[in-house]
Order: sequence, then structure tokens, then C-alpha cells
Amino acid sequence: MHKIVTKKGLPTLIEAWQRQAVVYAPVHNGGIPEFQRLGRGTQAALYLRGNTRYPPKSLFISQSETMFYAQGTALEQVPLPTAPRVILGVRACDARATQLLDGVFGTDSSDPSWVRKRERTALVGLGCTKPGATCFCSAVGSGPFDARGVDVMLTDLGDAYLAEVQTDEGETLLEGMPVATQAQVEAAHQLQEAAASSMEIPFETEGIRDVLYGLFSSSFWYEVQQSCLGCGVCTFLCPTCHCFDIVDEVQRRERVRNWDSCMFRIYSQEASGYNPRPTNVERTRQRIMHKYAYFVENHGEIGCTGCGRCVRNCPVDLDIRQVIRDARSWAEE
Amino acid sequence: MGELTQAIREHAARLLQEGRVDVVIGFKTGTVPLRAQPAFITEPEQAAELVHNSFCQNNLASYLTRRPDTERIGIICRGCESRAVHVLVSEHQHDREGLYVIGVPCAGIIDRHKIERQGELDLETVEVWEEGEEVIVALDDGEQRYARAEVLDDACLRCAHPQPTDADLLLADLPDNGASVDRWAAVDAFESLPPAERFARFAQEAERCIRCYACREACPTCYCTECFVDHNNPRWCESMVTAGGTHAWHVIRAFHQAGRCVSCGACERACPMEIKMTYLTDKLNYDMAQQYGFEPGMSDDATPPFAAFTLDDADRFVR
Repeated sequence: MHKIVTKKGLPTLIEAWQRQAVVYAPVHNGGIPEFQRLGRGTQAALYLRGNTRYPPKSLFISQSETMFYAQGTALEQVPLPTAPRVILGVRACDARATQLLDGVFGTDSSDPSWVRKRERTALVGLGCTKPGATCFCSAVGSGPFDARGVDVMLTDLGDAYLAEVQTDEGETLLEGMPVATQAQVEAAHQLQEAAASSMEIPFETEGIRDVLYGLFSSSFWYEVQQSCLGCGVCTFLCPTCHCFDIVDEVQRRERVRNWDSCMFRIYSQEASGYNPRPTNVERTRQRIMHKYAYFVENHGEIGCTGCGRCVRNCPVDLDIRQVIRDARSWAEE
Repeated sequence: MGELTQAIREHAARLLQEGRVDVVIGFKTGTVPLRAQPAFITEPEQAAELVHNSFCQNNLASYLTRRPDTERIGIICRGCESRAVHVLVSEHQHDREGLYVIGVPCAGIIDRHKIERQGELDLETVEVWEEGEEVIVALDDGEQRYARAEVLDDACLRCAHPQPTDADLLLADLPDNGASVDRWAAVDAFESLPPAERFARFAQEAERCIRCYACREACPTCYCTECFVDHNNPRWCESMVTAGGTHAWHVIRAFHQAGRCVSCGACERACPMEIKMTYLTDKLNYDMAQQYGFEPGMSDDATPPFAAFTLDDADRFVR
């Protein structure tokens, strides 16, 4: 079902959603655009061309999250959120990342907080009519209008959005909106195809898992990591990186979990002092292989959605696209 | 290709050829516009990869403590990088004999965030180049021209010594502009605020922190094997991205730089959240200059005041 939401009519639709749910969207207040809760005076900045720098995964697993409080000898659970939420303006790469993380947090040993937030959240996607130079979603099995993982996918038609309904929840969100004309649907499909074909494919993923396994003990990783500073920019801004560290904040009487990064030395430091990933070489290998080999092994899909945040924000321009390309040519030699 | 890039390539190839060094650390062209990548050249023929321009945003001295101890290193140094080398040598992090400092002139580093923001909002940068005092950015729809000073990194706008000090080889001369810049403008502006506003400003910056520690890792003089913030028994500061955690990180990080910060601004350039933090280290440098007449990194044998002690210290300041 295809519906139409005019740009003029969008604020009214958002207000309707806000009567039932908390609505989040990219907001631009002059600084770095980021996902924020829409309230009075904050407007959804759907006109932004690029993605937010800080990933919306934080709306499902926040960077620092209290697990429980200690009250004397009793432990007080943090109640799971109950309010329904709508996240508007999610890009395909981030929606896809959320779906991939369901495989980590939402299956057998499910994470109650993740599952609850996912259940209560509808995603209204915004396709990318102008993918950025660092975007490579189409290389990793996705695309700028990949609607897997969203309830509605929007295409910007200029003065209106074509809304492609994907789920029942999406249908409810768009209740009362007019049905799109055939011409509008065709116009949207043309934009979608033009966007997809404008993207370069920076590398081939066919057999990448085995290429990387083949390089496991190679000096390739030493070469690749020389410029890496070992900071956490790539992993923290990555929409699919999901490692966390559990800490007892004794003074706060809280047990918390914080995002952690395999690029940090102490990430793999054991209590004995032994570190199975003693240098940046092993840590760099871990980051790349987790996405392009182990995730494939465990979940049957590449654990990178091509959002390009790690490329755009790495302080030394260590470009994962180049790493994968180099791995392939290194393996061939 | 500029004359400077040409000269760097020739000397890097020569040093490797003559066996003077095992590696030359410089920059090569990045994969995206506005960027350059640190490069580690070990074969003379690889030297042709080296470039040098205003998009080389890192302080290469930060690699000295990451390389094997036995390696003889040639390093391309601008003023701030040469000062970082001197700090590391004076703190016994590297033997001066194992280093070959190739000094290059510096017209300042372009702050990519001042240009890149446009790409997140609207237009993507396709290509960028310098033409004298202008920076020209080709966008996917049109072109934008900036005066260099408009897009220069804040640290470079305040830089008093772009000229490398004590280099083994100097590829060009550049006048020291120490007298012509207002080094302490940001410090003065911050200090002139009432305390509550100062705190508000500090909190606004620090609380954007995502604790990725890119500032620490990009800093040439942050080289502790175990940073205070990674120490977990006892824990010195809150682990979370709360006000408590981020404030502590930013204050203590700065204090550990007292008398050691070379004002290169690599910390701010590395920060993905564009947090301002050099006003803190600049304040410490200001105090070092005023109270001890000391400037970090001006020579290999100057001991930072806070690292100095004598056995006959009378401790007259203790009452």
C-alpha cells in the first residue's frame, strides 16, 4: 500500500503520533545533527542529506544503561520502558543494523531491555535519494531504499513523501493519509533506482569470509593497523557494533553497562593480566573479521550495513572499504 | 604535485636508500577528500606515495611510542610535531639518536569539520584543493571557495611556532610568527567569563563526550600503557557517559598535560563530537609560561617544571 504524506501535513501527522507515542527524529540545532525526542520547538530535520553522526542504536541500547540499583541488601530492577515510540527518519543502513542486532539480542538468550524497546518501537524509514560519497550499503547486500526492518519507507518527492507501508504497524501510523497516485509511485521508483545506480560498489563481498580466514595469521593485519590509533570512534559510531562492559558503580549503587570497544586494549585484558589480543594487530583483525567473517559465520549475513560512519569519522582515515579491497588483493598474491 | 611533496619524497627515498632509517613516517593521499592518511614507508620506491598538504591532520609524533623500540625512524615534522618529538625525547620515550627529524614548513592544518558539515546537511565534498590562500571545495552541486583563515584549525590560528625546532634537515624556511598571533585569546575569553558561565561552557563541551578516547590516542604526549581512566581497581572516575564521568575525564586528561602539551590541536581534530578541549590545555600552557617561563617541547633536554626535582629542595612553599 502506498500513501502520500505532504511536507506541509507532516507536522500534523507527527502530532497525531505524539498523542500515542514518543517520537524521535534527526534534529539539527546548528551543531552535529542527532536523533532527539521531538517536543515543543524541536523539528524533525528530514531535509538533512546525510546520516546522524551518533547512531540511533543508542535508542535501543544506550551508551550507559543502568541494569539495577542496590538498596541496602536488596536489588531494585530498572523497570522496562512501556511507552510506545516512533523513530522517524531512520536511514536504511541503520534500520538494517537494528534488524541484524535482533539476531544478537533478540533470539535464544534474549535481552529483555532490547526486546521490549524493539517491540514498542515503530521505525519510519527515510530512503536516501542522494547517497553520500562514503556510503556503501549496496556493496553489503542492502541499498539506499532497503525497507527490511522499517514499518514505513519514505521517499522524498520534493513537496511530499511517498510512504511505502511495510507492516501492519506502519499501516496504523498512516491511517487517514491519502493513497498515492500511480504517477507518484512511479516518480518515487525512478528516484529510488537513480539513487541505487549512483552508488559505486567499492568491493566484492563474494567469499569474503574465507578470504579473511585465509589471512588470519598473515602480516596483512600488521600492515593495515600501522596507522590505527586504537580509539573507539569506529566502533562507537558503528550501528552494528554492540559490545558492552558491565561495571559496578559502587558510589552510585548501580550496576551499569557501557558500550565497549574491541579496539581498546583493556577490552580483552583478563583479570590475571593476560591479554589474548595484546597488540593493535589482533584488535584490528578482530574488528574487521567480526563484521566480515564471524558475523557471517554466526548469522549468515555481513555485520556491516555500509553506513560509512567509520570511514567519515576515523581520525586517520583508516577506510574499511580499502581494508576489504586490500585483503582481497593480498589474498590473491 | 607541490615542491614540498617532491622534496619530501626525494629525501625519504634517499634516507632509506642510504640505510639511515628503517622507516619514514609521513602522509599519503586519503581515500576521501579533506583527508590524508599517515604512511609508513620502508622501501625507497614507496616514497613516491608521500604527500604533504594542509589536510594532514594528525600529529605524526604520536606514532613514535607505537613503533618497535629498535626501529630507526625518519619523521616528517611540522613545528608542533617537532615539539612533540622533543617532549618524547626529554621524557625518555625515544632515543634522539634513533630519530631523523625532517622539518617541513607549515601553513596550518585545515579543519575538515568546518567544511565537512556541509556534506551532512546538504552537499557532499567531491574534491578539495588549495590555491595559495584559498581553499576550493568542489561539491556535487557547485563549488565553494574559502579564505584559508576561515577554515584553518583553531590550534593553527593560535600557533606561535609553525617552524620546526632542532630538525636534522629543514626542507624550507618559514618565519616564526610568534609575535604576530594572539596565543592566549581563547584562554582570555574563557577566563573573563563569570564562574557559573565558565562551568556551563565546560559542561556543554565535556558532556557531548562519548568516551571513545580519540583525543587521548591522537595526542603524541598521551602514551601511558594504562591510562587512569582504564584503571578499574580502584576506579578513578565514573565509567559512564554521565556528567560525572565526562567531566572527570576532561579535567584529568588536561591536568596530565601540564607543561607537556605542544598545542598541536590533534585532540580536537580527532574528536568525532567536535568537543573543544584545547582551551584547557592552553590555560595550563599559559600558566607554565607565566609562572615558570616554560614552553613545552622547545628542546630535547628541557625538563618540564612539574617533572623536575632536586634532593636539596628546601620545600619552602610548605607551611
